[in-house]
Amino acid sequence: MVNNEVFVNSHIDPAWAWSEFQPSDATPWNIRTAAHLYRRAGFGATKPQLTTAVEAGPIATAEVILNETQEPADYLVEMASLANSGLATGNPKQLSAWWAYRMLSTPAQLLEKTTLFWHGHFATSAEKVQDIELMLAQNNLLRKFALGNFAGLLQEISRDPAMLIYLDSATNRKAHPNENFAREIMELFCLGEGNYTEQDIRELARCFTGWEVKRHRFRFNRYQHDTTSKTILGKSGDFGGEEGVQIVVSQDSAAEFIVTKLVNFFVMDEPWPTSELVAPLAKELRENEMQIAPVVRRIMTSNLFYSPHAVGRKVRSPVEFAIGFLRTLEGSTNTFELSETMETLGQGLLYPPSVKGWDGGRTWINSSTLLGRSNLIQHLLNNNKTRFGRTSLPEFLSSANARSIDEIIELFEDCLFAVPVPSAAKDRIRQLAGNQQDPRQLNEAVHALCTLPEFQLC
Amino acid sequence: MLINPSTRRQFLTTAAASSVMTFGGTVPAFLRQAAAEGRDDGRILVVVEMAGGNDGLNTVVPYDNDAYRKARPKLAIPKSDVLTIKDGLGLNPALSGFADLLQDGRLTIVQGVGYPNPNRSHFESMDIWHTCQRKEDNRIDGWLGRYLAETTATDFSDPAALHIGEDQQPFALMSRDIRVSSIRSLDQFRLEGNDSKQFRQVVKELSDARRESGNDLLGFVQSSTSSAIVASERIEAAGMKYQPSKPYPQNGLSKKLETVAKLISSGLKTPVYYVQINGFDTHAQQAGAHTSLLRQVSDSVSAFIGDMVAHGHGDRVLCLCFSEFGRRVEENASEGTDHGTAGPMFLAGTQVNPGLIGEHPNLNNLKDGDVQHHTDFRQIYAAVLTRWLSCDAEAALKGRFTAVDAIKQS
Repeated sequence: MVNNEVFVNSHIDPAWAWSEFQPSDATPWNIRTAAHLYRRAGFGATKPQLTTAVEAGPIATAEVILNETQEPADYLVEMASLANSGLATGNPKQLSAWWAYRMLSTPAQLLEKTTLFWHGHFATSAEKVQDIELMLAQNNLLRKFALGNFAGLLQEISRDPAMLIYLDSATNRKAHPNENFAREIMELFCLGEGNYTEQDIRELARCFTGWEVKRHRFRFNRYQHDTTSKTILGKSGDFGGEEGVQIVVSQDSAAEFIVTKLVNFFVMDEPWPTSELVAPLAKELRENEMQIAPVVRRIMTSNLFYSPHAVGRKVRSPVEFAIGFLRTLEGSTNTFELSETMETLGQGLLYPPSVKGWDGGRTWINSSTLLGRSNLIQHLLNNNKTRFGRTSLPEFLSSANARSIDEIIELFEDCLFAVPVPSAAKDRIRQLAGNQQDPRQLNEAVHALCTLPEFQLC
Repeated sequence: MLINPSTRRQFLTTAAASSVMTFGGTVPAFLRQAAAEGRDDGRILVVVEMAGGNDGLNTVVPYDNDAYRKARPKLAIPKSDVLTIKDGLGLNPALSGFADLLQDGRLTIVQGVGYPNPNRSHFESMDIWHTCQRKEDNRIDGWLGRYLAETTATDFSDPAALHIGEDQQPFALMSRDIRVSSIRSLDQFRLEGNDSKQFRQVVKELSDARRESGNDLLGFVQSSTSSAIVASERIEAAGMKYQPSKPYPQNGLSKKLETVAKLISSGLKTPVYYVQINGFDTHAQQAGAHTSLLRQVSDSVSAFIGDMVAHGHGDRVLCLCFSEFGRRVEENASEGTDHGTAGPMFLAGTQVNPGLIGEHPNLNNLKDGDVQHHTDFRQIYAAVLTRWLSCDAEAALKGRFTAVDAIKQS
């Protein structure tokens, strides 16, 4: 038995961390490890999917996930037409519901999960942008580049109308440059606090003068561009915005900053990854000219990813909590209501709290959100719009060979729990389930199971 | 080790073992027992966070100052509009609620508040205000969290502090051992469970039991779940017989402060409440947005103080308003202002020493285009901790700071 505490407090060797995972007696490849991979790379998998993954092995399964990043054409047509009917309402909340539906239904889970990562990274809120078309355009941009080139994404996002409106940078005149976008690109998008000076911000802001949003489109107003020389991060020249972005993204700290956030997102909430730990990945990202997919592949096939540093060491975000619960049980529901509830739990899709996005980890958890999470499960179980495998929960479970309460607990534990359910908890939940003749009792048992502290982790 | 499941001070000590749950038992002896210092008078602190960086210069306005008028060709507020405090200094016209409080001797304005080597990132500066520490200090708790950890009695059954609102729980309230509750709205703050007593019983029991898994996150989630259930039961039991003495203004901040008034009036003994209002990051088209935000703060705080006085809690309540930084003296081309440094802080209640404290920052002595602070924000915190909450400020502030004379000596 691994002594977890000692293990976690000990120094992590980067060479070991990023070497390819080999299953062992201590960390076997089984249904629960496979479920871990699917929870992190996406939102979760059904038991039959996990059974297939166990047969295929960890590396082959990761390859499958990484190759499934192109949705089928008919799916894309369906998504575009649903998005269009959302646009027609003019209500950005319809777009949040659309995205929740996409997360529930997509065959390309990793693509959607990574799009969500970038949405938190380049956080932009419809609350301020107030333009559903621009929000959709940004969402599509994030998806297009999700596993692609970071430098390219950064260039695109710098001209993205929704982003510029969100950061009050829809006008930028040379007489009084607006510093906001220049600040955030250094602090939050690319380098991180401490890797630039206030002077760098002021100089970079001058590069962006003349960048405007007019009639919902980006445009360059050369009359308002400051053509004089600027000095940014040690480089001087009469740079324009694009060159400014290129200078920022070429900093060594850029690769480290992005990789650190990816490790935090895919691997562990705590502790915050050290420079030493992420250095090999940062190097790999630079060598791959800032291509994201190879780094994500490295992460998902690594020793660290399957170690006690990672498994059960993240708090489920509201989206992971809700979409994960449903996807794993082949669930579907009214995603408009669902996305409203996820917002009350702290993660409104297209409504991040600030340009910093969601802090995640422990900040997801407070009294209101914990009660709210439990209540969400209750609402899903008692909502006649919620279906599991197109049928009721008892019938679905029965068809999945989970008939007795012990089988049901085992199914949940295999697919949905990153840490074991304590045996005392199983006893009490068995009592709640009674003889299971009454579906209300089954609901209550499932509700209690999903209110356990263990269920908040992934 | 055995832990009493009914105590809110659940420990996060991590034992190396597999997933084990423990029930029943006693409180560890090294938990500070009473520490009820300063609690007997039932004093309450209500923090109002004005997030985004409030433009201090257009809040407490040096309307006659040439440098001010020159730096703000579009945004300067004319003499004819301000609510005069004294010669040359006036409140933004939206602050009529504050002007009334000032007249009633219930408002202190501390000018030129900041900290050395100012950081202009919202997030970093906010964290500095919340924790009294810089980034390199490995911050794990906030100034109020440390205060609560020092003074909360183990048998205290009400929430140690409550954060009212939908935002993330403020860092200021974080501590290692005390879990603070966030409440979005009172009617949503309950566990729904098919109306089954048995369900609630099971959930409570299973969340109370400590986990000895070696996983800190699990310990944190477990103690948080336990606190949530206790707090929701306590609030449900408090009954809510309160009616506001006068209708509150119709805005988000007022709604939150009315909830605070309701909880205080229902007899909850919680000593610290925290509310936030966002939107002060006025980079573009500042005038309209700033006016409406200031009006919201001033109308809400003044309604809240008035209501508390009417309900007989006036002498127990102190309201503290702050923002993470002020804004650049010179306006930008988008009719807005960029991130700056020092700004004013406000304290409201019947027990403040009313009026102005400190001079308006000198606009002819800027540093990098920003005003320089002369009063450290921790000096105001020190006043709140020593004079209002009657505790030693040093541990909470991680340093010694001379309290400003903002609160009456009790």
